[in-house]
Amino acid sequence: MFRAVVRLSTAGTRGLVRTRPSCSAPLASRCFSHGKVETDEEFDSRWVTYFSKPDIDAWELKKGMNTLIGYDLVPEPKILDSALRACRRLNDLASAIRILEAVRDKAGPHKDIYPYLIQELKPTLTELGISTPEELGIDKL
Amino acid sequence: MSLPKPVMRGLLAKRLRFHLPIAFSLAIVAAVAFKFGVTEPRKKAYADFYKNYDSVKEFNAMREAGIFESVRPSVK
Repeated sequence: MFRAVVRLSTAGTRGLVRTRPSCSAPLASRCFSHGKVETDEEFDSRWVTYFSKPDIDAWELKKGMNTLIGYDLVPEPKILDSALRACRRLNDLASAIRILEAVRDKAGPHKDIYPYLIQELKPTLTELGISTPEELGIDKL
Repeated sequence: MSLPKPVMRGLLAKRLRFHLPIAFSLAIVAAVAFKFGVTEPRKKAYADFYKNYDSVKEFNAMREAGIFESVRPSVK
């Protein structure tokens, strides 16, 4: 997304800002006219696969999460499910709860996203025994 | 009651698409307003002051007022 911001701010003239090409394929796609733009489904399955690696290590988990949080999107429940299972494989409850905090923060002012995610992830959270930050009382300052 | 799926992608892009043009235009308006509200009147004030400025007359007035050390008030 910074790419778009840089383009807009170095446009120089306001006219360019108004009439910029409608490159509204967001998230990780680079806005070039050549080459295939990855679809949302391809993006999601790529990340589900990343976290599904059976012998994923702690570094890869952290790196994956940090990269994922850098995108202009809130991760889909299926990506988060895969990430939480990776935390389970690594015996990392702290990271699992941190992931929930991170996606809540990622949603920003859009307060309807986090409850939806928890709703979708409830079976996984119950199965893996992961408490939400709200249940632990650590969601308030 | 299960929640419907909200929009989860491109939220920042949407926000910037709305706010960036406003930000840029406000910045430009501020710059233009400053130029025409402050710098142009200031430049005009200086230009008007110096249009019919007689430096010799002003110097003599200052001289008579006795503020200089290099020249004394004229002996009259």
